[in-house]
Amino acid sequence: MATSVGRLFTAASTIEEAMAARRQGAAVLAGGTWMMRDPRRGVDLPEAVVALHRIPALSKVEIGSDHVVIGAAVTHAVLGRELHGAAGFEGLVAAAEGAANPGIRRVATVGGNLCALDFAAADLAPVLLVCEATVELETFKGPKLLGISDFLKDRHTLLAEAIVTRIHLRRDLVASAHIRLPLRKAGDYPVAIVALGVDKDKRCRIAVGSVEPVARRWTALEQAMRAGPASALDPERAAELALEHNDFQGRDGKEAEGWYRRQVLPPLVKRGVAALLKTGGLA
Amino acid sequence: MTVTFQLNGEDCRFDGDPMTPLVDILRQERFLTGTKAVCREGFCGACTVHVDDEAVPSCLKPVGLVHGCAVTTIEGMSSGNQALHPLQVNFEAADAVQCGMCFPGMVMSLSAFVRDNPHASRPEIKAAMVGNICRCTGYERIVDAVAECLDQARKAGQLVGGIHV
Repeated sequence: MATSVGRLFTAASTIEEAMAARRQGAAVLAGGTWMMRDPRRGVDLPEAVVALHRIPALSKVEIGSDHVVIGAAVTHAVLGRELHGAAGFEGLVAAAEGAANPGIRRVATVGGNLCALDFAAADLAPVLLVCEATVELETFKGPKLLGISDFLKDRHTLLAEAIVTRIHLRRDLVASAHIRLPLRKAGDYPVAIVALGVDKDKRCRIAVGSVEPVARRWTALEQAMRAGPASALDPERAAELALEHNDFQGRDGKEAEGWYRRQVLPPLVKRGVAALLKTGGLA
Repeated sequence: MTVTFQLNGEDCRFDGDPMTPLVDILRQERFLTGTKAVCREGFCGACTVHVDDEAVPSCLKPVGLVHGCAVTTIEGMSSGNQALHPLQVNFEAADAVQCGMCFPGMVMSLSAFVRDNPHASRPEIKAAMVGNICRCTGYERIVDAVAECLDQARKAGQLVGGIHV
């Protein structure tokens, strides 16, 4: 049992209260599923924490005709439920409904998933890259909007003086998919994740998670697919292009070695394109 | 810091570190040892409890986050001479319990599941169990018991844990 009775614990009810605690050095506590395992990793729990779960504005999913706004404290379970059936967000729903296990999904939040700095296998990151999400931060200097790619690259620095408050998504995808490869059906971190989305012009966006330390867009493959005819949205052809343009440096980890993470990408792309064709009626 | 919450229907007060995992309060302070602390990483499901009617791992739940919430443990599902939860009745009838280590978590996860999913299929039952690991590997009998529980409730038009089936 943790013994520190002097720990500062703030359950903020507004973003302003949360920022005030952050200025005093409090670490952000979302669902707790990452931070509570710090002691298992040999890391002490922070001496001061600020919890965001009582801030109503951060616990909402707002669905508009051309955009969606997701509060940072929305859990995976709620996200999957709220966006179920929303065209173009099939990949995001699959990521939210497939991560970890049901108990974790009821607790772990969108913001926590994106802010766990050393977590390479975050399920939401690649699909939010495909959605070209914008991350809204509250910083010590005021609100800030940032593309998800830049956020993921710079989050070590950014989060030193900011809290992620919302994720903004455009509704410009016709279909999307999220393909993950765990070693077992559940309970493992995925070896590799491929997220794909296609817009009305059949332009494909692809992102990869868990292969490198930080999820990123697979721009080489996107360009190769755009260079070809529209029939590049063919699973077999996409897998061939994925093999040809595989520019990932796989990370070694407990679940798998780097070469394997890299090698499984073409078949995952094949599955992903097949899922896009099925979902989007593009076949 | 003082944290107050409802524990199995009674007021509970904790004075101490708000980052203490809920499972440790349950077992070490309240002696509710039905909730098992096994992996402490949210993978095994043995520590599952209900917080405001949702089945969650108590090993990863800092007690500070349950302030004002209602917590139910396996001991709160039935006690003394009370009737067992229908799911527990079916587990007993199917002789599904083996060593018992995973079972409190199984009951807590699946009781919420049958309440919310009265028409669940067998694959859906299995999907709901992926966060509860049984080292005795007695999964099929557990799935049988859950399916039987839902089937009985449907036929009888009964309530399973409060939701009309």
